[in-house]
Parts: sequence; structure tokens; C-alpha cells
Amino acid sequence: VLYVLVQLGSDRYALPARDIVEVLPLVALKSLPGALRGVAGLLDYHGTAMPVVDLSALALGQPAALRVSTRLLIVRYLPPHGSERLLGLLAERTTEMIKWDPRDFSPAEVSGGARFLGPVVHDPRGLIQRIEVSELLTPELRAALFPEIVEVSR
Amino acid sequence: MNIPPSILPDGAVATLDACWKRIGIWGDRTCPELSGHGHCHNCPVYATGAARLLDTEVTPAYLTSGARHYAQAKIETRPGAKSAVVFRVAGEWLALPTPVFQEIAPVRTLHSLPNRRGALVSGLVNIRGELLLCLSLPIALGLAPTGEPLPSTARYAVVGRGAERFVFVVDEMVGMHRYDYQTIAPVPATLAHAHAVHTCGLLHWRERPVGLLDDERLFSTFNEGLA
Repeated sequence: VLYVLVQLGSDRYALPARDIVEVLPLVALKSLPGALRGVAGLLDYHGTAMPVVDLSALALGQPAALRVSTRLLIVRYLPPHGSERLLGLLAERTTEMIKWDPRDFSPAEVSGGARFLGPVVHDPRGLIQRIEVSELLTPELRAALFPEIVEVSR
Repeated sequence: MNIPPSILPDGAVATLDACWKRIGIWGDRTCPELSGHGHCHNCPVYATGAARLLDTEVTPAYLTSGARHYAQAKIETRPGAKSAVVFRVAGEWLALPTPVFQEIAPVRTLHSLPNRRGALVSGLVNIRGELLLCLSLPIALGLAPTGEPLPSTARYAVVGRGAERFVFVVDEMVGMHRYDYQTIAPVPATLAHAHAVHTCGLLHWRERPVGLLDDERLFSTFNEGLA
């Protein structure tokens, strides 16, 4: 399976390429004053407004660096209830893709980190942890970005 | 035109010392490191240059030009996802999916089989030491054979699907054509029956309608004709 590598802080993370629709360069976003932490703004994506989440701000509380290697990934987000949405994701150092067998990943022994961080894989440059796109948004963020999704669980 | 903005901000390349263009593989090749690395691709300086370009800070103009571009409506271009070989048989322009073609061979001696005159099987052809059945495409499609001698452009087309291999004669191999399946026009109702059942649609190739043959149907007709 093909993975897109991104950087978060000083570590590398992998996103399954099948969750990614398109990789855009960094573009100007319509900012959303007063939005929750991690929300970078709104992208005018071919005429439709798409919420964009800053991975770095979401996990580390620090916005992504404005560099060429920071890219805007359009990902398929499948909420727990409801149908698939497109979501923008700002990620630093989106410059590499690697193929791994999904069986190469082993569960991260420590839990309690960010909920979207999944199993890890060994790489010559260190451990790389998988990002679970469906777990990216907390219920509060999901309700803020996609208010039309009805929470059945509550 | 909807041209995507450059991936690098203006002026990013100018700050870089592109030694690979000066003394490297794209320059006069006087770099002392070059003999050790063989090619600038293997040199760490080259890799660092790429990393530096990726680390360039973006400018507001870069951000807004990108935003403008992706705000525009998406223009769907359809490069041909499928490919067919176009050829001429009995005055008809026809095409078959490229993957069924195994070889195009010059016309050579056809070994006729007894009691097969006017039938689907024209004879046996030696293709690289293997005797293959040569079938008549006009008869399979219900076209009237022109009865003219084969032109100098005639070729043997060796086609195969799985273990089945056949040869048929074309009057001319025209070329390959890439198309998108959504651009296939429906088969006109006026087409003769046997021809129509073998045609899955019409392609437009150089302003000319070309009948795209259904390879599965054609191979089953070939097989039935042999039974």
C-alpha cells in the first residue's frame, strides 16, 4: 500500500495514499476567526468551500510553517455517522511517498496520544506512525466543520 | 487557459547555486566530485539543493495565485485511457483494443486447407514457426469481400486472448488511437446485423468514424466458426 509521508514536529508520519484525493501546494485560505484550534480556514476548492485542518496546529498547537514543502492534502474523511466528506489537511514536508505492506505496521505500544495516531512501522530513518484519517477530527471539531452530520450516538 | 501555478515562489531558484548546471553533468563537467559520484543525481550537494528549494518560504503572491487557481472550476480533460489499433478491412475502417494484438507480420504464404473455400477459415500461416489459423474478418463480420487482390499495405494481424491465437489479414494497418470510453458514439442502426453485433461503438479518428469491434464477441465468433 502506498503511503504519503508528512512531518509533524520532528517526527514522520504516514497517510494512506488511498485516503488522499489530491495534493495541492500551500494556498491562501479564508481564515475563520474564533475557530477551534487546528482549523486553518476555508479553501475555495473549485467553487465549494472546504474546511482545512492544520495537522501541526491540531497535534502540537503550532501552525504549519509557510514553506514550499508544506502542502495541502485533500483527504477523504469518513465520519462515524454519515457519508464521506472532503477535508483539507495542511501537512509539513509532504515530499515523499513510500510503499509498505500493511502487515509491516505494529501497534504503537503506548496509547493515550492523539487519537488519530495509529500503528508504527520501522524505517531506516526511525519509526513512522500511521495517521488514521477517519479519527482526525474530535467530535467538537467535527460538529464545527460539518454541522450537518447528525450525531446519532448522543 | 487554466495553468497550475508554479510549485516554487518567484525567485526561489535564483538564490540557489546550481553547480550541477555549472560544473556538473549539465555543465562543463569539471567538478572534482563528479568522477566519484558518476552523476549529480548521486551527489549530496544536489540533494541538498532540492531540499533547500522545498524549504523556501512561500510569498503572499504565491499563496494567492494558488488560491485563485484552485478556486476556478475544474476543467476535466480526458486523455484517452484506452487504446485501440485502427485498421482497414474490405473498405471499412475498424478498430480492436490494442491488448489483443500480439504481432503485425508481413503477408506471407497462406497454406490453404481443403474444402474450406468461402468459409471463415482461409488457411494456415506460419508465424515464427507456429502454424496459426488465418481467419477472414470480412466473413466473420458479414462484410462483402472486395474480391480485389491484397494491396501492398496488407499485413497479417496476430491477435490473441488467453490461449486463443488467430491471424487475420488487414488491407492496411493505420495506427494506434487512444480514446476515452465516454467518447464512444453508439452504433448506427443502419449497420448490417453481423457487423453491428460485433461493434461496440464508433470512434472518431481523424474526422472519420471507425467501428470499434468487441474483441470478446469477435473471438467467440471465430471459435464458433471453427466448430
